Amino acid sequence: MDMLNFKISRRAFLQASAATTAAAAASPRLLRAMEVELGGKDFSPVNYTERKAIPTTCHVCNIQDGAIAYVENGRIVKLEGNPEHVSTRGRLCAKGNSGMWYTYNPDRILYPLKRVGARGEGKWKRITWDEALAEIAQKLDAAIKEDPNTVMLKWGRDRTGGAIVRFIKTLGSATMMNHTSVCESSKKIGMQPTWGPDIETPDFANTKYILNFGSNVMEAAYFHNPYVQRVAEGMADNKAKLVTFDVRLSNTAGRSDEWIPVFPGTDGAVALALGHVILRDDLQDSDFINTWTNVTVEELKDHYRQFTPEWASKLSGVPVETIERIAHEFATTKPATTYTYRGPAKHLYGAYNEKACMMLPIMTGNIEVRGGYCLPRGMGYQQPQPEPPKPAKPSWMSDHPDYPLAEHKVAHLVPFWIAEGKQKINVYFTYMDNPVYTNPGAQAVWGKMFRDEKLIPFYVSMSTVMGEETALADIILPDCMYLERWEPESMPNSLWPWLGFRQPVIKPLGETRETRIILRDIIHKLDPDGSRGMKKYWNFKDGEDYMRQQFDNVPGLKEAGGVDFLKKHGVWPIYGKLDPASGKIVDKTGRPIEPEYGLHKKELSAADMTGAVVEKNGTIMKNGKAIGVQRKGRNYVGFPTHDRIINVRVDEWAEYGFNPMPTFKQIPWHKDMKDDEMILTTYKFNVHVQSRTASVKWLAEIAHSNPAWINSETGRKLGIKTGDLVRVESKVGYLVTKAYVFEGINPKVVAIPIGCGHWEYGRLASLKLKEKGGAWGAQDDPDLKNVWWEDNGVHPNLIIPVVADPIGGSQGWFDTVVKVTKAGPNDKYGDVQASWEKHVDAFKETMRYAYTGDLHRKMHPEMASWGGPDSARHKEGGGH
Amino acid sequence: MGDFNIFHHMPWSSTYSIYFFTIGISAALFFMSTLSWYREEFRPLRASAFYLSFVLLAISGLLLISDLSKPARFLNIMNPAYLNFTSPLAWGGLNLLSFGAVSVAYFFMMRKNDEGTSRKLAVLGSLLALGLPIYTGFDLTVHQNRPVWNTPLMPILFVALSLVSGAAVASFLAGGKSEKLHVMLRRFMLWSAGAVGAMLISLLGTTAYGGSGQELTFMFMTSGALGGIFIGVGILLGTAAPILLLLAPFGRQQGGMMLAALLLLVGGMALRYSILVGGQIVQTYF
Amino acid sequence: MSELRLSSIETRGVPGKKRYAMVIDLRRCIGCDACMTACKAEFDVPVGVFRTWVPYRVVGTYPNVRKHFMPRLCNHCDDPPCVRACPVGATYKVEDGGFVLQHYDRCIGCKACMASCPYNARFMLPKSRTYTDITSVVDKCTFCHHRVTQGLAPACVVTCIGRARIFGDLNDPASEVSRLVSTLPTQVLRPEEGTKPHVFYIGLDRHNSEFGRAVYSPLEVLEEDRQAFNKNHGA
Ligand SMILES: Nc1nc2c(c(=O)[nH]1)N[C@H]1C(S)=C(S)[C@@H](COP(=O)(O)OP(=O)(O)OC[C@H]3O[C@@H](n4cnc5c(=O)[nH]c(N)nc54)[C@H](O)[C@@H]3O)O[C@H]1N2
Ligand SMILES: Nc1nc2c(c(=O)[nH]1)N[C@H]1C(S)=C(S)[C@@H](COP(=O)(O)OP(=O)(O)OC[C@H]3O[C@@H](n4cnc5c(=O)[nH]c(N)nc54)[C@H](O)[C@@H]3O)O[C@H]1N2
Ligand code: SF4
Ligand code: SF4
Ligand code: SF4
Ligand code: SF4
Ligand code: SF4
Ligand SMILES: [Mo]
Repeated sequence: MDMLNFKISRRAFLQASAATTAAAAASPRLLRAMEVELGGKDFSPVNYTERKAIPTTCHVCNIQDGAIAYVENGRIVKLEGNPEHVSTRGRLCAKGNSGMWYTYNPDRILYPLKRVGARGEGKWKRITWDEALAEIAQKLDAAIKEDPNTVMLKWGRDRTGGAIVRFIKTLGSATMMNHTSVCESSKKIGMQPTWGPDIETPDFANTKYILNFGSNVMEAAYFHNPYVQRVAEGMADNKAKLVTFDVRLSNTAGRSDEWIPVFPGTDGAVALALGHVILRDDLQDSDFINTWTNVTVEELKDHYRQFTPEWASKLSGVPVETIERIAHEFATTKPATTYTYRGPAKHLYGAYNEKACMMLPIMTGNIEVRGGYCLPRGMGYQQPQPEPPKPAKPSWMSDHPDYPLAEHKVAHLVPFWIAEGKQKINVYFTYMDNPVYTNPGAQAVWGKMFRDEKLIPFYVSMSTVMGEETALADIILPDCMYLERWEPESMPNSLWPWLGFRQPVIKPLGETRETRIILRDIIHKLDPDGSRGMKKYWNFKDGEDYMRQQFDNVPGLKEAGGVDFLKKHGVWPIYGKLDPASGKIVDKTGRPIEPEYGLHKKELSAADMTGAVVEKNGTIMKNGKAIGVQRKGRNYVGFPTHDRIINVRVDEWAEYGFNPMPTFKQIPWHKDMKDDEMILTTYKFNVHVQSRTASVKWLAEIAHSNPAWINSETGRKLGIKTGDLVRVESKVGYLVTKAYVFEGINPKVVAIPIGCGHWEYGRLASLKLKEKGGAWGAQDDPDLKNVWWEDNGVHPNLIIPVVADPIGGSQGWFDTVVKVTKAGPNDKYGDVQASWEKHVDAFKETMRYAYTGDLHRKMHPEMASWGGPDSARHKEGGGH
Repeated sequence: MGDFNIFHHMPWSSTYSIYFFTIGISAALFFMSTLSWYREEFRPLRASAFYLSFVLLAISGLLLISDLSKPARFLNIMNPAYLNFTSPLAWGGLNLLSFGAVSVAYFFMMRKNDEGTSRKLAVLGSLLALGLPIYTGFDLTVHQNRPVWNTPLMPILFVALSLVSGAAVASFLAGGKSEKLHVMLRRFMLWSAGAVGAMLISLLGTTAYGGSGQELTFMFMTSGALGGIFIGVGILLGTAAPILLLLAPFGRQQGGMMLAALLLLVGGMALRYSILVGGQIVQTYF
Repeated sequence: MSELRLSSIETRGVPGKKRYAMVIDLRRCIGCDACMTACKAEFDVPVGVFRTWVPYRVVGTYPNVRKHFMPRLCNHCDDPPCVRACPVGATYKVEDGGFVLQHYDRCIGCKACMASCPYNARFMLPKSRTYTDITSVVDKCTFCHHRVTQGLAPACVVTCIGRARIFGDLNDPASEVSRLVSTLPTQVLRPEEGTKPHVFYIGLDRHNSEFGRAVYSPLEVLEEDRQAFNKNHGA
């Protein structure tokens, strides 16, 4: 779930930031405005007439940038960043600019479909909505009667602002899961217990030093567009230094002042060694550590003594001198910040890596300062009332007894659990989720599960296109594309909180219905007269009405006009005007607006303090809740943790036998790799989003194939040149692809990006353009005749075994040991093979690292005094 | 350019080099027909050379038009309101049209056996015919950013090429008719092939010693994609070999001359093709 | 006596006239390609051809390797050979603003302008297009004439995530482009061609702007794509 999950009291932050942004620093205006405005309008290049502008929010990827759609003759012809949007500042990325092709995809599904052949055979019958809903309602009815938890809904992207969860709760089922375990969950889990939120918002524009661990912010990451605008600004205007740790030369690494090609999975060790040097040389911010964390400087120094640069250098391949130098640079350049994304996190013990990285800004006191490592700023909206209650019974799979700390669940293990009979499923829904392509094992695991009618008796896909998962469904309900839906939005993608929304910019195409309407219609079919008590939670006329129930009473927005304001502007609040001369948002005086810093130092009011008690450690408790922390006689709101300070020591982890202090665990199967073995890593293209954009012509045109990156030296050793076919073999299968041999990758790493190699997803993605377009009601695009490429790449997920971080629950995407050889005479480009049995072995293997597994103790000799799994099980219900 | 998959097409495709070939022959043949009014040896060629010249002119026109992506708009070239005199193509278009008009008139005057007018038209037509290889050469050389094309030699090279190819075709037309004609045509071929050879050497030299783009073009034309056609067919087989052949005793016999003429024609086509394409290869990478 | 010259009217520095220019600050270009798709959308540019594109090069040896991006587009040259080469005046220069534009209804498709442009800025529109019915004529970047003349920056400039593209009137000494061009070292592409380009680069790396030997022995994976392009993309 990338809906960033703030544990932080939203209200406290709102008060802290939204209201008082007038704190503009004095920076004189040097320039006259560019004589041309930066957007907000668009004209036809053929007849120079103005196009109709409708603000909305981008959803090509999940960063949620403010956008304007331009409509000409009823057609969306152009998308642009919303210049009134404080984060986006009028700009969209390559994908955002191509968003209309989600809508006008000639292979889009425009009416409900029912499978007629065997699952996955590709034979469909057009049915009416009524037929589709009736059949689904009937299956749901039977399933709920047996056990509501046999109805499962798994989503990938859910930007419905609560509708999806409302739906599954209305059915009484707790079997709901998202895709976060294949996404970045261990990053979130590495951070949350430490300081509250699950993400950081570095102040890139004002920093002097950025230490980037495995985030590809120039191409992907949360939040690519808004963040990299500020990174570019910081680097060019502020002369900030950017140092990037990545196993390969991403665009970010390639544009950094320094690229450090770390060995996969060892960022944690490097970060600890950096900390060691900082503490050894007394470069830490002792005052910050002693005031705001639950450890003392002395404790920290003691703990870090073990993590020497020599130790980290051996593991990571980063020279000792580099570690020493970077540590000094980072600690002595103020302000400085770190930034991480999936690089460190997507490994077995990824949560430890993340934690080790975030310790650097903490120990140097760069938290919540201008140019530093800041808390995210988000905003909340309301939920229509009444709301369905929590499901009566927990669901085994969603409650995952083996992974109690993995709050974002471990959904990539679901097929194995279902096959093992851990939980019976009668009806399975997918919503914007393509595990058959995006999860480890891909079709060998998820494809196998969906094809098996005994495991999944009835499968409904709510989708827009024939994705690899949707192609295996029994019934397809055609959703609207993002430009045709109503959805609430808020993302902490800059230092200013905002609320935005998505409104339909054209009428939905064909018979498509937007998500919340589909869900409502299912419920209404199931409970036509309200007698089952379900209908009352789905009481709205249409998408706009639902939106009004979410937005019309938000304080502040209400006064500005609620949904009507958003319809016009797309976002609220509007902090200022986009200045064409600087590309920044400026206030009335023409000066760039400044965010507020030091949110944790906001003081509690006397009213807040009435009835509050201050505990021994300073935590201020009120009505059983920590509301702040007392330091030097002052009452601060602190950080949104259980005791309102930064938990360097996470006691909860110790309960399960994990090291509560910053630590590092080398991936056991990386220890004794043979000479001819390498690590397979995957990554994202700047112009593709997960599985979704291979059908977008302008993006496929830029990137449509994905040869495997191999270092020149490795290539020489293996006798592999660019263009040669190579065989990449893991413990679960192999693939045959082309090699791209160059200097930009660690010699022990082979990298294959995702986004290519589709076998479904329409004619463009799978390059079956000879087939007739518009099979499911959409209009063809004559421009597809100009498609010239013949190579659509090879998808690697089939040969990547499951790995689950025992703490964060994350898939270890970047851990796979492979053998790379020149392809043999019988190998063909595009061959991919993997076996279900071998994937099951991998699953069993990874479960051994869970706190209940036999390898857990072996991996944690330092936790010898831990009482074992049974000591922790008693504590269950401790509330996560 | 970089490691990226944005590709560019070459603006001028091989059709254009066929056009260069046919129009060059057409011009030279007209010239031969003209010569027949002044030099008796050429008398046997008067009609046949002209007719073939005319057919080739028609073919060239069609090639040129069909190579336009908007063939139906070819008349725009004659629209005085559109005419752009800085473009050699515009001049070329006018040249081509007037050559066509003179050819038609020449045809009728010849039929009427009006010697006086025919002679005048022949001279006028020949001047216009001379303009054709010159303008095609200009057409390339004005693009000063293109290696190989960007030499002032280009119009002269095209005139020489036109003469070689024209003489080669003429030697087929002449058949066994006249000993004297043979001697003349052999001389034509020899001298113009020699001139072509000399110009090619100078062209190769300046290309090889140019900037990086020039040097890379030299590499492509001598050892890369075009090496075989340019060096192999164009220079060795199609220029050097026939020169040697014509100098040898066998080359003075009819069979030898025919063989040399054939080689010169193949070579002429190969040279035009490689000069046209060669000037465009490197830039598709920029 | 006025000098005899064949070049078109120069608009740089002409009082009372605008001279638009773009500055591309390569220090800020992150290679996101947003400009490429924004431009495609603005003009319904077909697959296979581009008004702007962002090639890159990887330079250096492991581990000291960097990636350089170099956004490209029509330079709206002050002495545009393409205008001189067009036999029918279908490509022309707008005196006020310096735009080099196309009369699509006049173009005969002889491609002389493509041959004359040293920058590959021009392309032949294919026969099929999504919704615009201008096809099979030569096209190129217009400096977003339809937007700029109505007070808006070009589409690629508006969306430029790195703010690497800056646009404005070079004849106005107070404009940002004037300030950048006059205070920072800038370069233009292939200055030796004498075209007087009006796209100025800050931090241009000669690795990117000159032909390298890599052209002669191109990478094989790229060659396969190139062959597919030549085979399948008829323009
Ligand atoms: N263009 C684009 N943008 C996106 C998305 C997209 O699909 N496309 N998806 C969005 C989503 S859902 C997410 S979660 C984010 C993900 O954003 P990121 O995490 O920034 O991107 P990834 O490509 O997943 O991984 C980042 C980098 O980790 C590197 N890496 C692998 N192993 C290691 C390691 O051990 N150490 C280090 N230091 N680096 C390593 C990879 O080479 C890669 O460059 O992007 C979001 N933005
Ligand atoms: N090897 C490897 N695999 C990875 C990653 C990696 O780095 N390496 N990255 C991972 C990451 S970060 C993530 S977040 C996951 C993402 O994994 P998913 O969430 O599974 O991916 P998507 O591609 O977004 O899901 C697309 C599906 O949603 C449906 N869909 C598309 N648009 C719409 C719509 O508008 N409405 C509805 N209802 N449905 C729609 C289509 O059926 C499509 O198949 O992938 C992960 N997979
Ligand atoms: S990063 Fe790009 S695709 Fe993602 S929301 Fe922003 S503009 Fe849209
Ligand atoms: S860049 Fe090329 S197309 Fe543009 S004006 Fe200059 S010569 Fe003409
Ligand atoms: S292709 Fe069109 S614009 Fe270009 S030179 Fe020919 S007529 Fe002019
Ligand atoms: S100025 Fe306009 S036409 Fe030119 S590249 Fe930019 S967006 Fe495209
Ligand atoms: S949009 Fe700007 S930063 Fe992105 S590639 Fe284009 S020029 Fe570079
Ligand atoms: Mo993700």
